[in-house]
Amino acid sequence: MEERLYDLIFIARPATPEDEIKKVLHSIEHACADKGAKIEKNEHWGTRKLAYRVAKHREGMYYYQQIRTAHGELIAELERRLHVQDSVIKYMTIRLDEDLKRQKKLGEKREKRAARRPRRPAAAPAAAPAAAQEQHAAS
Amino acid sequence: MAEEQKQEQTGASAEGPRAEGGQGGQGGPGGHSGPRREGGPRREGGREGGPGGGPGGPRRGKRQYFRKKKVCKFCVEKMDLIDYKRADILSQFVQERGKILPRRMTGVCARHQRWLGVAIKRARNIALLPFAGSAAGSTAPKAVEAHKS
Repeated sequence: MEERLYDLIFIARPATPEDEIKKVLHSIEHACADKGAKIEKNEHWGTRKLAYRVAKHREGMYYYQQIRTAHGELIAELERRLHVQDSVIKYMTIRLDEDLKRQKKLGEKREKRAARRPRRPAAAPAAAPAAAQEQHAAS
Repeated sequence: MAEEQKQEQTGASAEGPRAEGGQGGQGGPGGHSGPRREGGPRREGGREGGPGGGPGGPRRGKRQYFRKKKVCKFCVEKMDLIDYKRADILSQFVQERGKILPRRMTGVCARHQRWLGVAIKRARNIALLPFAGSAAGSTAPKAVEAHKS
């Protein structure tokens, strides 16, 4: 089964003790481990101002994770877990792999075009080895 | 002459000897309220005839006013993905109150505007950008600084 990449962001209350946050993060990790998902990125953006009031708070602590999994049910499970946490005031999961796929495709297309028809003579030698390498890698 | 003026003012005909110059693409909402007379002898080939004036006449003369050609910022930077997490970039394309700016104001190409809209809506969802109409804070969103935890 094809693996998919998801972004998971959640916002915690500004004055949440660290133990609570750790508990939430552990819970996410645990759920991911159960389904054999990989957490590829784990970032803490710190306390940021919210663009609008959420649960009567104007600030929140942002946590960001990137998860790769082949099981879509996991996302529902993660959202359920975040939903029941009192310290989490907002969360969002977004499927990212389709966007990344499109980005890759467009990038390749652009490179190909640059290799085929160099616009400027100065750019040609730089583009040619890259194209050659790509062909080499493909074969 | 006086008769002609009258005609123009009543808006019965826009096919006078002078082509009424359309205001390019950037005019405000009041830009095309009616076939008004401009101050100078403007001879821009109007892209659109006056409202109700039938098809615009052929382009005449040279365009006297050159507007700086707007180019798509994302095309220039060769961005194939507009990240919803970059609130500092996205905030350049929304009004202070959070409305998405139209393409004609920002010069973004159609494809990137489509992606931009999606990215802005995602950013709104996670409180990085305000929803249109909500009382937004006056401070601009800061760039996300990632700390590894």
